[in-house]
Amino acid sequence: MRIELENVRHVYASGTPFEVEALRGVSLPVEPEEVLGIVGGTGSGKSTLVQHLNLLLVPTSGRVLVDGADARTIRGGELRGRVGLVFQFPEAALFAPTVEEDVAFAPRRLGLSEGEVHRRVGETLGLLGASHLAGRSPFALSGGEKRRVAIAGVLAMAPEVLVLDEPTAGLDPATREDLLGVVRALREEGTSVVMVSHDLDEVAEVADRVCVLENGEVRAVGAPEEVFYSHPTTAPSTVRVVRPLRGPHPEVGRPVRFEETLAALKGLLEGRV
Amino acid sequence: MTAGRTLGQFYPVTSLLHGLDPRAKILGTAALAVGLFLVDSAAGFLLISAVVVLLVAASRIPPGTFVGFLRPVAFIVALTALFQVFFSREGELLLEWGFVQVHEGGLVRGLFLASRILLLVSTAALLTATTAPVALADGIEDLLSPLKKVRFPAHELAMMITIALRFIPTLHEEAQKITRAQAARGADFSEGGPIRRAHALLPVLVPLTIGAFRRADELAEAMESRGYRGDEGRTRYRELRFRTRDALALCAAALVVFAGILL
Repeated sequence: MRIELENVRHVYASGTPFEVEALRGVSLPVEPEEVLGIVGGTGSGKSTLVQHLNLLLVPTSGRVLVDGADARTIRGGELRGRVGLVFQFPEAALFAPTVEEDVAFAPRRLGLSEGEVHRRVGETLGLLGASHLAGRSPFALSGGEKRRVAIAGVLAMAPEVLVLDEPTAGLDPATREDLLGVVRALREEGTSVVMVSHDLDEVAEVADRVCVLENGEVRAVGAPEEVFYSHPTTAPSTVRVVRPLRGPHPEVGRPVRFEETLAALKGLLEGRV
Repeated sequence: MTAGRTLGQFYPVTSLLHGLDPRAKILGTAALAVGLFLVDSAAGFLLISAVVVLLVAASRIPPGTFVGFLRPVAFIVALTALFQVFFSREGELLLEWGFVQVHEGGLVRGLFLASRILLLVSTAALLTATTAPVALADGIEDLLSPLKKVRFPAHELAMMITIALRFIPTLHEEAQKITRAQAARGADFSEGGPIRRAHALLPVLVPLTIGAFRRADELAEAMESRGYRGDEGRTRYRELRFRTRDALALCAAALVVFAGILL
């Protein structure tokens, strides 16, 4: 599934003194089977942008295309099942008496058979490393466990595109690593992932493409090495280490991921000895 | 994202009414409210209506916006007035159409009742639209403070009102967030009959309630960590001052009420 935002503008509280233009003409495709990282400061329009991907927000002007067709022609329920959106701090929306019930909510709303719902709940909880929590109350879990369960609650719809808004905000490092592992696993299985994050290091680890938003406009979009090495203010720590070395040692290349960077630096050191 | 203008919302502009002491406004509104129940003549209602129109003009709230404040009660006003018109069998018969009968007494009663409710709501809306919630709570505390002698918790009551008012927009925003999160999971709040719709609201109400309790806990901790101990020895950043114009306003309100009753 390919989603394309076409010159999308979004104005909040239009026609009142509180009017805010959150998106000023954003054009951006989400390609099939990619991890797209969206970065940008607070108030840059990231959260507004991702809510357009399943039309929870409707553009003030511009269009959202799904596989070339206007997304408004798709039934709301179907679109939300195909584009799974996980909001910031999704654990705030947990409500059912047990984890299992909570995760089953979304697939049940898709009208699947009880057997299929049960299968998906088990599978999704397994993927997120939360199978052992199935019978517990979601309110008695730790912050990291709640986050896993809440993400499972969207992933259980088996969406073709999963949108994560700040999925790792406020998490412990172990849960964070696990979630990045889930993102990679999903991509391997052919699910596209759109990940909004403030943490450039984690975007660097998983993204195939990066989009930088600023003031509701796309400031840069492209391969991580292109974006991170050409925008000095938007760079993960790996790039900040390597960039000053590129002057005297251009052979170090443009590594972005941690392992790549480590290999490049090792190569550089070995070359000198 | 923003809440629609609703009954009881503060409208932040500067005006003669906004500048009055909240105590004067509370007492004045109370006087008008009592007066409205005692007025029983067309002339009286006309007088008070004229005064309310003048007050709205003095508040510098755009008339359209002010009428918007009254919209939530329009249905109830219309319903009660129509009840009076159709089911009252007093006075001369004016209209008969099948079993429907309209009598003069009913018509007059219906009109009076509608005016009474509309004017009551208007004065209350004027009070809350021209008085910041914090000032309103301060005013209430001050007016109730004589009762502290008989251990009435005036300060605590005012603090509760302030906090409740402050949290309305917060909870509204939270409710919207949760609603959107559940909509993303396929929740539909518009289909089916009333029971199904109420049931569909559970995924919003449960987390909203839990969030409200969590917020309350956090707020209590934040207040205590800043040294809040209740009323004892507490001073105010904004002292209330009852000026001559406040006294004049109150006298004017009393005069209007008496005139309205006598007319």
